[in-house]
Amino acid sequence: MKEISQHRRENIKKQFKSWINITLMLAWVKIKVRYKNSILGVFWSLITPLIFLGIFIFIFSQAFSEIENYPLFALSGLIFWNFFSTTTSQIADSVIGGAGILKSIPIPPIIFPVSALIAALLNLLFSLVPFTVIMLLFGQYPNWNLLALVPAIFLYACFALGVSLLLAALNVYMRDVLMFWSSIIPGLLYCTPIAYPIGLIPEEWQWLMNFNPLFHYITAIRKILYYSNSPNTHEWLSILAIAVISLSMGVFVFQKLQRNFISAL
Amino acid sequence: MEDIAIQLRNVEFSFLVPKQGAGSLKEYLLKLGRGKYFSYKTVLSDINLDIFRGETFGVLGVNGSGKSTLLRIIAGVLQPHRGNVRVFGKVAPLLALGVGLQPELSGLENIQLCGTLMGLTQREIKQSRDKIIEFAELSDSITMQVKRYSSGMLSRLAFAIATAIEPEILIIDEVLSVGDIGFQKKCAQWIEGKRQQGCTILYVSHSAEQIRQMCTRAACLENGRISVVDEASITCDYYLAKF
Repeated sequence: MKEISQHRRENIKKQFKSWINITLMLAWVKIKVRYKNSILGVFWSLITPLIFLGIFIFIFSQAFSEIENYPLFALSGLIFWNFFSTTTSQIADSVIGGAGILKSIPIPPIIFPVSALIAALLNLLFSLVPFTVIMLLFGQYPNWNLLALVPAIFLYACFALGVSLLLAALNVYMRDVLMFWSSIIPGLLYCTPIAYPIGLIPEEWQWLMNFNPLFHYITAIRKILYYSNSPNTHEWLSILAIAVISLSMGVFVFQKLQRNFISAL
Repeated sequence: MEDIAIQLRNVEFSFLVPKQGAGSLKEYLLKLGRGKYFSYKTVLSDINLDIFRGETFGVLGVNGSGKSTLLRIIAGVLQPHRGNVRVFGKVAPLLALGVGLQPELSGLENIQLCGTLMGLTQREIKQSRDKIIEFAELSDSITMQVKRYSSGMLSRLAFAIATAIEPEILIIDEVLSVGDIGFQKKCAQWIEGKRQQGCTILYVSHSAEQIRQMCTRAACLENGRISVVDEASITCDYYLAKF
């Protein structure tokens, strides 16, 4: 009897390991395919934020002349905004994209969102390289506070994954969920103080920002990257809480809905 | 008493279908609170089947009779809504042939990818890589992007990758029609080799001739129910008389 349970445990362990292998492999393939046929290669991940940056500098630098190093200010927000918008849309489509595999190999569907997230995180890392260069150009030298970026990005990724799981699961049943999402996401950009300082919002309305989860993440990350500071306890706690709520809600809905994925795909 | 490899008891499976056309958020919101949006369509019901270790078992049925769904349930891709399924041994999902092939990547990279998808470890892939390339007869073009392969080359690669797993139960869903005659023979030989090693083979087809040739026993699937389980030739005669 004991031997059997031992054997079973071995099997589960092996199964789990193979799932992790599959997740990493799919993430790796995603990155490879994305850059395979492009001359600019990895630098493509910088194009979108750079274009936005150009626009923002051109138009807003004058308006926000009181902000020191405005390009740095805008870019620190934009890179992370871009991460959120591309990641959520890519993950929302990931389960549908994996339909062929899901229909023939017994693997948990959550593998697809997670591998898409890993690929997106690697992209984010690439885009932080030129940011560092720009930072140095503006005379901001990295300090130890930068290490706070690691847990901040981790929590941000958890938050994005939670939202995306919800979208991905619904998108399997209702294909216009992604369309709906891509039409509201530009709106979110302007509702979040990314290119402009929070001070621009009339003081009596600023409390509304507390209900914008993105605001909390952008604030924390900007504090690290732009102000070379570390978020305070209150800020850490709020981004932690949002990540936990978002992720558990996403996982819950995804688990509930995954039972009929294959027949809906 | 022979050893059982696959056992199905009162298995029932139904698909979820959106009530009106393709599912969309807009429609859902419009219909909110008024009637059900999804309904179930029964694909398989009352499936009772015992497949013994080492036998070659055929499943016959016309298109839409539920063959693929039955295979997916046995392969563990689908969970039955009622009843239970017990599978003893490692299943090679030959129904997954070519699934996951990434056209932008080279043949070599695709061996990595598909091997991983089928549950092989890095080491196992490395060990069987040369054998796969040889089996697929692709040594000249293995570094080429798969999108430039001909369809014959593609199916050869796909089948060759599948030969790298050491299965105890082999599921074959009309895949023998891959490649040219020479390669088809090679595939048949490989399957025969597996059979002689004592592998249980589940062969699914809508062609009675193939089943008669390959299998010892067979079942006939009609509208999601099993109508006959008997020796292959008897099941085939029944099937041919009926359809």
